[in-house]
Amino acid sequence: MSRPGRDDSPDRLYTLTGGRTGTGPDNPFDLVTLVVAESEPAPGMQSEHAAILRLAVLPTAVVELAAELRLPVSIVKVLLCDLLAAGRVSARHPQKAAVYDPDILEQVLVGLRNL
Amino acid sequence: MTAPTPRGERPTVRTLVPLPALTAVVSVAAVAGAVAAAPASVRAPLAWGGALAAVVLVAAVFWAVRAAQSARLARRALDTAAQDAGRHLQERDRLLREAQRERQHLIDELARQRAEFTAVLADEQARLEGAGATERDRLAGENARLARELERATRARDAAVSATANAAGRMQALTTAMLADLRAMEERHTDEEVLADLLHLDHRTAQAGRLADSVAVLTGSRSGRRWARPIAMESILRGAMGRISAYRRVRVHATSETAVAGHAAEGVMHALAELLDNAANFSPPTSEVHVYVEEVPAGVIVSVEDSGLVMGEVQLRRAEQAVSGDISELGGLTGTRLGLAVVGRLSGKYGLKVSFRPSARGGTGVLMLIPQEVLTAAAAASAQPAGPPPKDDDRAGRRTAPAEPAPSAAAPEEAARAAHPGTPDGSDGDTAEHPVAGLPKRRRGRTLAAAERARGTARTPETREPAGAEEVKVRAARFGSFRQAVRAAGADHAAAPDEQRGPDHAAPTEHAAPAGRAAHRPAAEGAGDTPAAPADPQPHPYAHPEGDTTS
Repeated sequence: MSRPGRDDSPDRLYTLTGGRTGTGPDNPFDLVTLVVAESEPAPGMQSEHAAILRLAVLPTAVVELAAELRLPVSIVKVLLCDLLAAGRVSARHPQKAAVYDPDILEQVLVGLRNL
Repeated sequence: MTAPTPRGERPTVRTLVPLPALTAVVSVAAVAGAVAAAPASVRAPLAWGGALAAVVLVAAVFWAVRAAQSARLARRALDTAAQDAGRHLQERDRLLREAQRERQHLIDELARQRAEFTAVLADEQARLEGAGATERDRLAGENARLARELERATRARDAAVSATANAAGRMQALTTAMLADLRAMEERHTDEEVLADLLHLDHRTAQAGRLADSVAVLTGSRSGRRWARPIAMESILRGAMGRISAYRRVRVHATSETAVAGHAAEGVMHALAELLDNAANFSPPTSEVHVYVEEVPAGVIVSVEDSGLVMGEVQLRRAEQAVSGDISELGGLTGTRLGLAVVGRLSGKYGLKVSFRPSARGGTGVLMLIPQEVLTAAAAASAQPAGPPPKDDDRAGRRTAPAEPAPSAAAPEEAARAAHPGTPDGSDGDTAEHPVAGLPKRRRGRTLAAAERARGTARTPETREPAGAEEVKVRAARFGSFRQAVRAAGADHAAAPDEQRGPDHAAPTEHAAPAGRAAHRPAAEGAGDTPAAPADPQPHPYAHPEGDTTS
């Protein structure tokens, strides 16, 4: 677990969020929520916020943002809530039941059975 | 000096009168007789002559008497004067003798006293010399004793300081390891409550680490960590904030793009943390502490302003003295006021200049000048792990990757090695994120963007329902090639199609199936590289990989 050099930033996670970890029950974010930036990074912004806005120029999932930022998802959610409250990002849940062509699904089924 | 004339010796009328009177009487009688005897004719001239002679006689007698008397008086005065002179001579001789005797006496006395004093002085001198020698011996002994004691004390102090430094160093190492562990745990546990607890522990550990750092700095050893790369100003400020208890009250107003060189970053952070801690501790627990960063030609000025107690002149001066770096000794330290001494040490080490002044906010303001020598350009700070610029580079690298010639045989294996240890959440993305030439890569967001656009144009999924038979065939062909590739990869990669990074995993292992890759690459790239073609009505099979993973 202890990997020297792994902790290679002086930022502690609690300083990124001001000590918050939870985002409340009305938090719209889960792992796969798609996030789209609504504005450019502004100067003086927290660098993580700016990074999120840059990454989410195209719709990006929360978990991807977390991976890119190398931050725990919960922390990213807090950051995203801040941005959402400021109107700088918008969030949308991915469509779950994407309707596919039954032919393809059938072929997938056949293919899987053949594996 | 003339002796007074005796009373009886003065020539008085009484002593002068009798003899002339007798002479007058006799003369008168003789004249009268002669006149009576003489004839009448001569009587008149005779009377006149006789009278005249008588008067002359009387006058002569009177003169003679008077002269005789004066002579007698003068002789007597002379005798008196002679006697006085003799007496005076005798007196003078006597006085002379007395004076001589007295002088001799005084000379003798002086000599005697001088001898006496000399003796006393010699005695005293000898006594003092003896006492001085004794005292000197005693002092020399005392001196030697004190020197020994000082040496012992110095040795003891050195030992204590070295032991303390050693202990502090071990605590630093422990804290660093613990912080790394906590960070790893924070990334593993996604439960919010667990994460909150871990962050709480993290915060406490960071404060303990600061204390250990303080002790280490005061004992002359180094700060806890060395950073190999420049640390951006934002991280410096946050690193400093994270080490104090009241970090939530700190408000940072900074747009500076500078970074602090790695070797000085820890010291600057530590000094800032101490200043922030001071500001937070000496202001009301509900007030905020404001931090401003300003770039000036000499470096960067970080000002910490609180709205707490205003420091008086004396306190300001004392604080300035404490942080001026003059204090090289540990004397005067109290257990609760280590902060300014630590700042002083660090200031001296890294050339920081710290000054105090009353703040416009009502409390105290501290200015810390970080000199240009320990600052580096902003570009160097882009190595920050969470920073997006390297990612942009990565993305650029990946974008150009397919245009490159066929990868060498080693590249896929490397990619496979890099891709496998990667955890699903990408937290170990150091190597996995690295651009690997020649491999098809899924670009984040591109397919989603395409899907979004597709949906934007198509509005509803129903419009996609009547897909042509041609399209179905194309999809079937794609799936078939995919299946081929998977079969070639072997049983251990059977799960690959479920993985959102399926092509990443499958491609390096399918040495014998270039066709599969060829079939996939255009598919992956086709959706990603042609964002300018929003008319593409067909959602890519991988368009919603995340959607399938929800359960």
